[in-house]
Amino acid sequence: MGEVELSCLAYAKMYLHASQFPRCSVNGLLLSSSAAGGAVCITDCVPLLHTHLSLAPITQLALTQVDVWCSQTQQRIVGYYQANACASDSSPTPCALKIAEKIFEQCNNAVLLMIDGEKMFPGCRVPPIVMYERKDARWALKDKHTIMLRQWEETCSIVNQLFSSGDQALLVDFDSHLDDITKDWTNQKLNAKIMELVSPANGNV
Amino acid sequence: MRDKLRKWREENFRNSEQIVDVGEELINEHASKLGDDIWIIYEQVMIAALDCSRDDLAWSCLQELKRQFPDSHRVKRLAGMRLEALERYEDANKLYDSILQDDPTNTAARKRKISILRAQGKSSEAIRELNEYLEHYWECFLCSPFFLSLSFHSHSYAKAAFCLEELMMTNPHNHLYCEQYGEVKYTQGGLENLELARKYFAQALKLNNRNMRALFGLYMSASHVAASPKVSAKVKKDNVKYAAWAASQISRAYQMAGRGKKENKCSVKAVEEMLESMQITMS
Repeated sequence: MGEVELSCLAYAKMYLHASQFPRCSVNGLLLSSSAAGGAVCITDCVPLLHTHLSLAPITQLALTQVDVWCSQTQQRIVGYYQANACASDSSPTPCALKIAEKIFEQCNNAVLLMIDGEKMFPGCRVPPIVMYERKDARWALKDKHTIMLRQWEETCSIVNQLFSSGDQALLVDFDSHLDDITKDWTNQKLNAKIMELVSPANGNV
Repeated sequence: MRDKLRKWREENFRNSEQIVDVGEELINEHASKLGDDIWIIYEQVMIAALDCSRDDLAWSCLQELKRQFPDSHRVKRLAGMRLEALERYEDANKLYDSILQDDPTNTAARKRKISILRAQGKSSEAIRELNEYLEHYWECFLCSPFFLSLSFHSHSYAKAAFCLEELMMTNPHNHLYCEQYGEVKYTQGGLENLELARKYFAQALKLNNRNMRALFGLYMSASHVAASPKVSAKVKKDNVKYAAWAASQISRAYQMAGRGKKENKCSVKAVEEMLESMQITMS
């Protein structure tokens, strides 16, 4: 199918989310601020849960709220990501497939992204992600050559900088927001920090 | 420092990096002043060290414990945990099997064996082992958050519900169990389960009126019941009332949270619009 481009901002936040809760499964939504049609540009993500991913109410609540926020900010939900608690297992769980299906109903080039825990170490040469797309009524592995992560080395260095400055602790997911609703699940502060680090020459959001 | 460690132990916090920082200093500088407390501190620090991949520290704690308690099953279990951390699962299993040979009721060793299956991604085998154990020793296990997390992990909602019922009986003031039970019932779906979910969310709120998950849960379950074509007019009216109450509480909570804080204006706005749009669908 089509090409998928993953921005530094989206990648960095997913990575931070998985790193913040190493013993839990975590998930979140992938967003795009570009128009539908053509390549899918994942420009941002919203980290959702780190507890009880398979329970419905909070997932439904989060999906509704993110939907509302997207319409307020001209973004669309274009995919779903998940990192399993068991690092050696990067296969989609039933709940991952269910949520991805729901997203596919609204977005016909939706992607399902699984984070590969085993590749999450400093100096790893390949992005720790496995992507799936909807093909022939099932979710199939996407051809690696259609997935683009521009400025991969710069992205890695930005993630390292976030860890060394302690800014990774700024990340708020929806679960943490429910524990303390003064925390912002849209992560405006962290987004600003990351965008500062993204080089102006990059042009890519 | 001792008191910090004790607090974290009693409240079961898994803040391993902090425990290692505080514990290592305590052990290196002040061991002589700790008296008998030192053994439980060695255990706590060792487990935290495993969490932080500090095998050097874990090893030295283990040696001290082995020296003091050479035949202890509890120390053997810790040695097993270290092998698990090093992913030497076969060796760990051998150790746990030897504990179970001496003492077949040793819950800790059983739990570790099941945890190994889980770490290896074999959750259906883990559940099978658990079920076998439950046939003989169910009282100890059912009241167990460990069993609960395994049930969630394998999407066994009926088991999770059963486990939560036991946990609520033994911990009647714990609002989290009520709220989780509500979530499980909501997930199982169907009118009866939604009404039950609503009741348990309400119960959780009685125990802790700031539990936002319970508040949202109450709002969503009452809204769904009110919108169902199968309910009587009275039930519909009651649930509309419950949902409206929950919505006003949510609004109030977010307004208070939003006061003076520029950064969460986005999340506050999202909630307000969501509540408005759901009102429209309900009426």
